[in-house]
Amino acid sequence: MNKQTQKTIAIFTLLVSIFLINPPASAEKKLTGDEIARRINARDEGESVSRKLVMEMIDRRGKRRERVTLGFRKYFGDEKRTVIFYQSPKNVKGTGFLTYDYPKADVDDDQWLYLPAMRKVRRISASDRGDAFLGTDFSYEDIKKETKISLEDYQYSNIGEEEVDGHHTIIIEQIPINKEVAKELGYSRVVSSVDSEIWMTRKSEFWDVRGNRLKTIYTREIRKVQGIWTAHRLEVINHKTGHLTNFTFSEVDYSEGIDDDLFTKVMLKRGVR
Amino acid sequence: MKNQILNTRAEHFFSKVTTYPKTLLTLGIFAILLAVSFIPQLTKDTRTEAFIPTDHPAVVYRDKVEEIFGLKDPMVISVMNDDPEGVFNPHSLNLVRWLTDRVSEIPGIDPERITSLATEDDIIGTEEGMLIEPFYEDEIANQEEATKVRGAVMDFPLYLGSLVARDGNATLIVAELLDESRAQEIYESLLKLVSEAPANGGETIHVAGEGAVAGYLGSYIDADAQRLNPVAAIVISLILFFAYRTMRGVMLPNFIVLGTVGISLGVMAAMDIPFYIITNALPVVLIGIAVADSIHILAQYYEEMAQHPDSTQQALIVRAMTQMWRPVTITTLTTIAGFMGIYFASFMPPMKAFGLFAALGVASAYLFTMIVLPAGLALLKPLPSPVFLIRTGHEKPSSDRYSRFMTKAGRWVATHPTTVLISTALVIVISVIGALQLEVNESRIDNFQTKEVIYLADQAINESLDGTAYLDVVIETPKAEGLLIPANLRRIEALQRYLETLPHVKGTTSIVDYLKQMNRAMHEDQPETYVLPEDADLLAQYFLLYSASGDPSDFEEEIDYDYRLANVRATMDTGRYSDEKIVVEAAQHYIQNTFNVPGITAKLSGRVNIDYHWISSLTESHFRGIVLALIAVWLMAALTFRSALAGLLALVPVGMAILIIYAVMGFSGIWLGVGTSMFAAIAIGVGVDFSIHTIDRLISLVKEDELPLTEAFVQLFPSTGRAMLFNFFAVFFGFGVLATSQVPPLARFGSLVGVAVSVSFLASMTVLPALIKVLQPGFLKPKNKVVEVEIMPETSYEFK
Repeated sequence: MNKQTQKTIAIFTLLVSIFLINPPASAEKKLTGDEIARRINARDEGESVSRKLVMEMIDRRGKRRERVTLGFRKYFGDEKRTVIFYQSPKNVKGTGFLTYDYPKADVDDDQWLYLPAMRKVRRISASDRGDAFLGTDFSYEDIKKETKISLEDYQYSNIGEEEVDGHHTIIIEQIPINKEVAKELGYSRVVSSVDSEIWMTRKSEFWDVRGNRLKTIYTREIRKVQGIWTAHRLEVINHKTGHLTNFTFSEVDYSEGIDDDLFTKVMLKRGVR
Repeated sequence: MKNQILNTRAEHFFSKVTTYPKTLLTLGIFAILLAVSFIPQLTKDTRTEAFIPTDHPAVVYRDKVEEIFGLKDPMVISVMNDDPEGVFNPHSLNLVRWLTDRVSEIPGIDPERITSLATEDDIIGTEEGMLIEPFYEDEIANQEEATKVRGAVMDFPLYLGSLVARDGNATLIVAELLDESRAQEIYESLLKLVSEAPANGGETIHVAGEGAVAGYLGSYIDADAQRLNPVAAIVISLILFFAYRTMRGVMLPNFIVLGTVGISLGVMAAMDIPFYIITNALPVVLIGIAVADSIHILAQYYEEMAQHPDSTQQALIVRAMTQMWRPVTITTLTTIAGFMGIYFASFMPPMKAFGLFAALGVASAYLFTMIVLPAGLALLKPLPSPVFLIRTGHEKPSSDRYSRFMTKAGRWVATHPTTVLISTALVIVISVIGALQLEVNESRIDNFQTKEVIYLADQAINESLDGTAYLDVVIETPKAEGLLIPANLRRIEALQRYLETLPHVKGTTSIVDYLKQMNRAMHEDQPETYVLPEDADLLAQYFLLYSASGDPSDFEEEIDYDYRLANVRATMDTGRYSDEKIVVEAAQHYIQNTFNVPGITAKLSGRVNIDYHWISSLTESHFRGIVLALIAVWLMAALTFRSALAGLLALVPVGMAILIIYAVMGFSGIWLGVGTSMFAAIAIGVGVDFSIHTIDRLISLVKEDELPLTEAFVQLFPSTGRAMLFNFFAVFFGFGVLATSQVPPLARFGSLVGVAVSVSFLASMTVLPALIKVLQPGFLKPKNKVVEVEIMPETSYEFK
């Protein structure tokens, strides 16, 4: 789907929603939650991408861990493959993490890890969607969706608007469709502030299954790269543990076609560069 | 001469007091109401932690460790099953999950810090790699699944003994508290939860752990106080009734009790000082002490009335007060000195508070006795006590059975001083033998009776699992990732093996155990690979690998975020000081001589270490308290009697009392522990009253009434002796009520002080007079002056 058709669809749905759902008087602002969710997911994220990612984790006492990685992501039809290679610190350099995300919810994802100190590729157990991703405050599901959201897991409603980082946003509330899903995701409620111009979430607040405030994710430094809106910084504050995670992306490149072979166990062991 | 001047001033004062009785009574009531209005603000602090000053180095360090690794004193729920499968049957495992889920919903429990079979992850090696997954996630449907869980758990050495009994018959749910001051409420919620749990598969469930102990003590104390305080009040009222058989003789002292207890608790609340475990003893102790002064004054009052039946009420009161203010003031000062001895000598906040507020209570009792008692009496008409017979002339004083008994006793002592002293010497020798067997020890769980559920729970857990007493060893390296160096990890492993050789240490856990488990998992679970890897990079990569599917907080209790600090936890099956001492000292020695090298050091922490330091300093503070109290009491007595020897003689009965208490403790195996350590200073402060009254009366009889010493003895026993007997009854039964407390340390404390005051009383009535008889001390020589200043001619008290 190219950008032009996307825009067309967006305008079309906007018009439809204005005429069908909202009385013209209150006008365009009152979009339904579902509609907003669809717009977010309609945003282009490129067929494939390569980028440098610095993961910074800070515990509540201010102790820092920093890991520099190179990441690649490519769609194989509906299937998404991701590979991450650790560059530093030295003692994990060369470690690689390969994931195949299958579109069907009931098929477990495949994950492999290459440990250079063992010289072996190891398969690791499929994670639950709500599990922490590599010791960060993101869950596997957060990482998998990147800046998108899941239509089938939540019920959406439009609950207002606010300014976030100087941008106008529409606030949507996401409630998991049932208890099982809530438990899987680890969330009982999510409130996202969605930029109404570029349809990207700028801020999301999460509550755990017991209704405690869990974490806040800020999406910042959003710039267009090769025509695609790209967040260059993700910041998570875990309110329960006081732990922080900052992801900083650089050298983002959507244009270079990535070789399919990169997403294989052989290449995982060989590494890049 | 000085005494006369003082007495004239006292007369003046008490005539003023009896002239404005209503105003003073109103002021007294107002003071009580004001103080009592603060009492609802009182907070309770039953944590054992409360006994240790927050700035104690061991506590400061432990708090720092807690900040890094978590590791708060937890609530521990044990599920036990004697079934051949142990807890590894579908029903018990589902019960553990049920409990775990419910526990996490209890307010005040940290839902992130619950450890049980239902929360922990297994690290399994597979052909392709490593699997980290919960031991079980869903309902266990059949025995086959339960057996699988058993296999997995039994193959994870780290959890054996710590989370699951080695024989599989028990498992724990360990929950940390968000707020330890809510322990009582949380403990009660847990008990309720446990009683509702579907434990119909042969399981028994216990709630124990340090958090539970604190919680249990809270409700224990409430129940105890509700029972003890009314009993003490009734007992004291009965004693007062038998002493005088008049209504006022019961009501007025009870009003003083109200003032004493009300003010000291009210000020405690107003100063925001919490009610500790031992504060429970305070009201009871104060009830006994508060009435002592009025017992002596009322005795004098009725005595005066019996001798001068025609006097006005005011004259009677003024005369009684003028006669008694001096001994009452001295005994008040000495009792305060005793309690302040506790305050100054003890380093434990609850002890300090006890000493301070007991002293405050005694001071308020004194004020009420000096002001409100005469004011109250002044409002009443003279009404003789049936036990103090109206007499005419100067015949024998009143003679109810108590006086007759005391007279006989006095006669005997006066005629047999040597017998008394020789028997005393014998008692002292035997006591020294007993006292030498005194043992300093403490065990928190022994604060409970052996039939209490918490005691049974503790016992059950210590029997089937590694125990609930933790010694933490904090490992420190100078730089981040210092603990990824294999040599350091091997050093930790050696430390663990050493700790496990110490008595009562049942197991140890550290990050090393996890790393070995991971190493084995990465080698297809081959048993011989349950060792530390040699490659530092591999260690770092194991942690990264683990983070791919494990919870980021999984190692929080074992290692800090930048791999610089680690915690080794040794579990002991006893919380007894004498056992902990051996382990702590051995561990300390090992750390200093074997473990510590440049680049890695260790330091002890945890509950066991704190206990060790705390109880070790208890002995010192106990003896320091005794010495301080003795000096203070001696100083008071010597100054008021203006004789160093008189001060020394006043100490003889309490000295004996303390020695005999040590002997009783030594012979009967009662430990000198936290609860019992308070007895001595209190015994001094309370017990010295008897010798003060004896000496003061003797001085007054010899010097003012110019009686020869033998005749003075005869006079002493029926009057002062009788009042002292009731004073003794009040204090003895006051502490006696404490002896029936459900809290064993309080009960022991009450019995010991009971014994101590008995000894003080008896010695003041026997040893002290005998010594005085033999020594003929200078301060008891009659004055050479012939002219006696007229004291208290009856007619001078006709106030208008």
